[in-house]
Amino acid sequence: MRHRDDVLTGEGVLPVLPALRGLLPAGGLQRGSVVTSGDWGLLALALAAGAMADGAWCAIAGVPSLGVRAAAEVGLDPDRLLLIPAPGPSWPQVVASLLDGFDVVLLRPPDQPSAQLRRKLEAAARRYGSVLVVAGDWPGAQARLLMADAEWTGIGPGHGRLRARLAQVVASGRGGSERPRSAWLWLPGPDGTVTAAAGAGTHGGYLIDSAQLVNIG
Amino acid sequence: MSRAATPRRVLVLRCPDWLDWLGDAAARGFEPVVGIVEEFCPQVEVLRPGACAIATRGPARYFGGEAALAANLADAVSRGGFTCQVGIADGLFAAELAARAGPIGLLVPPGETPEFLARIPVSVLDIPDLCELLPKLGIETLGQLAALPTAEAASRFGPPGVLACRLARGLDPRPLIPRPPAADISVQMEFDPPAEQSEPVIFAAKALADQMHDRLAAGGFACVRVQVQVRCADGQESSRLWRHDGLLSALAVAERVRWQLDGWRGGRDCAIGRDRVAGPEMVAERGADSPGITLLRLVPDQLVRATGRQLALWGDSVISDRVARAAIRVQAMLGHDSVTRPLLAGGRRPAEQALLVPFGDAGVPERPADRPWPGQIPAPAPTTVYRVPLPANVTDGAGKTVSVSGRAKLSAPPAWLSTAGRPARAVTSWAGPWPVTERWWDPSHARRQARFQLVTDDGNAWLAALQDGRWLIEASYD
Repeated sequence: MRHRDDVLTGEGVLPVLPALRGLLPAGGLQRGSVVTSGDWGLLALALAAGAMADGAWCAIAGVPSLGVRAAAEVGLDPDRLLLIPAPGPSWPQVVASLLDGFDVVLLRPPDQPSAQLRRKLEAAARRYGSVLVVAGDWPGAQARLLMADAEWTGIGPGHGRLRARLAQVVASGRGGSERPRSAWLWLPGPDGTVTAAAGAGTHGGYLIDSAQLVNIG
Repeated sequence: MSRAATPRRVLVLRCPDWLDWLGDAAARGFEPVVGIVEEFCPQVEVLRPGACAIATRGPARYFGGEAALAANLADAVSRGGFTCQVGIADGLFAAELAARAGPIGLLVPPGETPEFLARIPVSVLDIPDLCELLPKLGIETLGQLAALPTAEAASRFGPPGVLACRLARGLDPRPLIPRPPAADISVQMEFDPPAEQSEPVIFAAKALADQMHDRLAAGGFACVRVQVQVRCADGQESSRLWRHDGLLSALAVAERVRWQLDGWRGGRDCAIGRDRVAGPEMVAERGADSPGITLLRLVPDQLVRATGRQLALWGDSVISDRVARAAIRVQAMLGHDSVTRPLLAGGRRPAEQALLVPFGDAGVPERPADRPWPGQIPAPAPTTVYRVPLPANVTDGAGKTVSVSGRAKLSAPPAWLSTAGRPARAVTSWAGPWPVTERWWDPSHARRQARFQLVTDDGNAWLAALQDGRWLIEASYD
């Protein structure tokens, strides 16, 4: 049933950014699966970045105020990105159509879908071999990522500017059967990209001053 | 040689403004110009958006000479608000060059076309290989090329060489092909009794599309877009334009009819889609109920000469079929403007740094992104950018709104941020004010702002601006 011949790499797993690899069960986005990313934010965009660098197409539905530059900085090529800012009340139909054409569909659902609708969309993702990344709640998702803790650096009371955000991302599998995994990431780093924050978090000290940050960029 | 063919006198009208922007919008925008030219001579050939040609024989006689015709035509087009150049010469090729020859164009008197062409460099020939080769052989002007014997040119350069030689001598390879009115090529089918299901309509659409393609091919045309009109028994109509470019098969046209019907009938509850449909691109009215379809009509829109050249369907970037199909399907459901491609643009405010272009249209940002734009907020860029900034209020510890003086001095450090519909959050760190004075030379776009980055105690970061004494949230770093 899969008709992807032009972008398929690996065995049905779309690559993700190296920093996110350890958080996902298959080391990437399993084709035909649903992944949640907590509230809408950079984490959802970052999830699609690795696949797009590999030539995948991505659609973003339900996000009327997307920061296109942030998306480009994190690695989403605007040339292969389509936006459907207001999918309207018939959004499940729209998302099902998008899953047919795009490798990754980022969705912020306008309302909480019923279990039946969710199953339909999961089936569409499986049928077309695409990945649905949901910013929101989606029981039955194969992988759940969540930004648990975050701290902006580079800015103080009246000085500096936003330079980077150190965030702890926690991942859990379906039904909590797997032990939750977590990683410290620069989300974003000083240049807008998402990278692993080496060494941070292991000893609890994640408040890195801005002088140290400059070296990372 | 029984008779020397009298060369055909051709007038080319060229709008120099159309050169740098191409695509759908350009083609649509050119229609009014063609309309003006059609009042002078109903048989107009549109060469491309921005240029059209007529045969001067009839209208020149009516206006009392070619010079008078050119002056009248240029006058009418400029009164319509377009700049134009008019060139008249023997043959289409020379007339087009004549139109480009001066600020208002050039009238080459009958018989002087070879002399006019002789001085022009060979690079004007639109034959890439030849244009490179000829100067290397010392043939730099059309005059030198025209002097070559045709047989020699044929043996050395092949068919392109013969074509180039003919053009250089002022002989046109083809006569003008004026476009017939689109209505003459439209095809329609009535359903009696009305078709309740979509299937028979879609089936008929395939046959109709075949018929339309035959008619187009018979005249040597392709259409840029095809308009699909559907009428219901109760008089409601859905009409939508689909991109065609001479590339769609009959089956593909039928598929677009299906999408249109799906979107029209299935999307009745889709209030947002309905609002968006009312763009210039399409007019569709949906009713509460669809009683059955009585009429299906396909009207080819914007006829162009079929050159057999494959145009890039969706602008420059190569878009694979399945992506295009999915995008067009969604456009059929929600409207043309609801599926957009983002383009990076330049500017100091985050909202200016992206342009959303409807899928299928070509767009060029007015302000390029690759300029320095001093004063823009450095990376990382905000994840959420509000197209319309959110009203907000920033207060100091005493509850007074924080203000900034003309010398960029803060009244007090910001302590609380409140946005509409959210409780106030404590500001833990902040940076600014960064004053920006933009476009002071243009009163309608002038803006003075002091910008801040704020981090609130819930870990969120915001880009706020103080403008005319009011606080706005421009973007947030989610």
